[in-house]
Amino acid sequence: MDAQYVRASPAVAANNPVDRLASLFDLHYDRLYRLARRLTPNADDALDLIQETFLKAARFPRSIPIGAREEEAWLVRVLINIRRDQWRKSSVRDRHDKSQAKGSQLAIGSANPEATLIARTAVWKALDILPPRRRAIIVMHELEGLAIPAIASLLGITAITVRWHLSRGRHDLTHALKAYMGDAQ
Amino acid sequence: MKTIKELLRDADPLRYEAPPDQRDFHGQADLAAGTDDCKPTPPLARRWRIVVLAALVMIAAFLVGARVWSLFVSDLRVQAAVRFEVKLAEEKPGPGLHQAKVADSDRSVYLHDEVIVTNGDIVSARVVPGGGPSEYGVNVEFNASGAEKMRAATENHIGKQMAILLDGQVVATPVLRTPIGASARITGKFTRRQAERIANGITIQ
Repeated sequence: MDAQYVRASPAVAANNPVDRLASLFDLHYDRLYRLARRLTPNADDALDLIQETFLKAARFPRSIPIGAREEEAWLVRVLINIRRDQWRKSSVRDRHDKSQAKGSQLAIGSANPEATLIARTAVWKALDILPPRRRAIIVMHELEGLAIPAIASLLGITAITVRWHLSRGRHDLTHALKAYMGDAQ
Repeated sequence: MKTIKELLRDADPLRYEAPPDQRDFHGQADLAAGTDDCKPTPPLARRWRIVVLAALVMIAAFLVGARVWSLFVSDLRVQAAVRFEVKLAEEKPGPGLHQAKVADSDRSVYLHDEVIVTNGDIVSARVVPGGGPSEYGVNVEFNASGAEKMRAATENHIGKQMAILLDGQVVATPVLRTPIGASARITGKFTRRQAERIANGITIQ
């Protein structure tokens, strides 16, 4: 199957799948890590996420489109989908309880550096209430500075959907982070 | 008042953490099976759960099947009642005697018509080791009236043969040395399975 495909597709014919994967890895690893780290609670989870993404790429080399932008979009979508699967596994109640508990505990401290660190962690934890795709949209918009049309084309959805996710995400985060927004005044 | 954007920027772990070494990535050979597209496939853990569930279901089905089969088999065995009769026998033909061939031999004996004991006179039957290796017999215990009938019949027949019939077939023709009372042993060159079949069959009323 793979061999047939390689022969049928001149663009890939030069590279064998291993080279293809290696170049994908070199080209997109940093970008994927930035996204993965911002979608996950810690660096280990981010690395796992990237690993799974590249495993998927290794399994299905022929479903990856040609061209840097297309590759990036494919990898980003796969990564978000994998994250979504992981996210669905842990129950909503777990997430809710966790974020509530952290919130009340963290509103206490204010000035010392330790409290700042804790608050920072808590804000990051609060992101866990967002479904991964919405979280990715928030991350790309607020942290990566991507414009709405760019996000839309990267994820293969309409700009309106992106805008809707942004506003829902901001709304949810505002609720969850009310304490910190006031606290940091 | 901080905006969401500012809060997120403050909390962004990429600002505080060193970027990971790319060599942390190790390709794994044991890739999970999945569909050939970029739609999400179930993650490994969920797939394992499915595999384990499937295995459990198969084991359960196997156990149920085995149970049903064993019921079926034991039903067959239960239904295969064996008619058990003991008659007096003579070596020579005579008036009122019927010739009968002894199973697994060329011999014939001459049976009295009267049935001494039958299935209803038996309390229990069990498989006992027989005369040789992997040969089995069946030990039969009679109830009080059965034992009395046996004694009465065999008392006057010492030195002569008695015939044990299973399903009308003469299987054993022991020569009586003493009167027989409460129990009798059917020895024959039975396999264990045959002996069990007989022992189970003759206790069925």
